This record gives sequence, C-alpha cells and structure tokens, in this order.
Amino acid sequence: MVGIVIVSHSAKVAEGIRELAQQMAKPEQKIIAAGGMADGSIGTDAMRVSEAIEEAMTEAGVVVMVDLGSAVLSTDTALEILDESLRARVRIADAPILEGTIGAVVEASVGSSLEQVLATAEGAREMRKCL
Amino acid sequence: MTEIQLVLTNPTGLHARPASQFVQTASKFKSKVKILSGGKQVDAKSILGVMTMGLRSGAAFTVTADGEDEAECLAALAALVESKFGEG
Repeated sequence: MVGIVIVSHSAKVAEGIRELAQQMAKPEQKIIAAGGMADGSIGTDAMRVSEAIEEAMTEAGVVVMVDLGSAVLSTDTALEILDESLRARVRIADAPILEGTIGAVVEASVGSSLEQVLATAEGAREMRKCL
Repeated sequence: MTEIQLVLTNPTGLHARPASQFVQTASKFKSKVKILSGGKQVDAKSILGVMTMGLRSGAAFTVTADGEDEAECLAALAALVESKFGEG
C-alpha cells in the first residue's frame, strides 16, 4: 500500500490533514505528517521530510503532498538525502494539499500502484466543489 | 449494464468515511461503476467524484455497474448502504 507524506509549512496544517485523511484510511495505512520546523516554527525542514518519507516507505512507494513554494524545494532536498533505492519509489504530487491527500489516501487504500495514487492526487486539481 | 436505486439512511450521508467505504467496495470489482443523482454523474471509484456529489442522509441516488461482475458489485454496494456503513 502506497505511503503518504504531508509536507506543510505549518505542523498544525499537516497534522490536521492527516487527522482528516485517517478517517478514510485503512488502519494499517501509513500517513505521515511532516509540518513546520524542528523547533515548531513555520517552515519546511528537509530533514523532517526525509525522515517522514522513510517512515512512510512501503514496497509500493510513497507519494508526497506539498503545500506552497519551498515545501517543494525542501522535498527535493529531502530526496537528495535519501538512499537512491528509496528515491526511485517517491513521487511529489502537483496537487492541492488537502483534496489531493484525501484522494491519494483512498486510492492507496484499495491497493493501487504508485502512479495511480499520484494520478488521483493530481486529479484533485480538476475537482469542482460547487456544481 | 445494471442499475439500482439506493437511499442513504446513515446520519453522515455519502461523505468522509462512508464515501471512502463506498469507493473501496466499488474498487473491488472490475465493472465500471457510476453514481447518478440530480442530473450529475460521477465515477464511483473516485473519492473526489463521490464527495463532489454531496449526497446527504436521506438522499436517493442511482448506481449503475457495467461489466462481468456487475450483479455482485451492486449487491455489495447495496448491502453497504443498507448496513448504514456500520454507523448504526
């Protein structure tokens, strides 16, 4: 089952999204929040992201959900820190962080592949809320 | 293709955990599964699609399934809805 990492500038945002996504997840599913800096301040920390990816890692891989700007840069740095064999099984989703995470978690829960989970997360870009 | 009509009797409606259970159940089958309501239709295997439908408690909707296991698929989805998704 593909693991999910949530990278936000705010630890509360990352935790909150994780809490919401967990409602819809299977109990054994790995959803790891990597929000804020080590001291609790606002920002993104490549070391925390890299540890979260390792924690979320499964045979099927990991999809990383990011919020804004430097969350992507920190995740890129986190990937450089990671072992090459793990790095090949990680994808960064270009998607809205909350909607994308919900989509990714449910897609992963049915045993879909890394590329399918990524596609569902990124499909959240097209999601209309008010029809 | 087979279609059935269902009514949501669980308190939450087709949101959050129930929506996820619905998608997870539909995804176990090979058939193409759709939800239709109020002139809209979505892929029942897509969580974002299902949540966009915004089906609340008491809402009636149609489910269609098309494929070799369509009968089993609809039976499983009907049983899930009728069990109130375990919400009691």
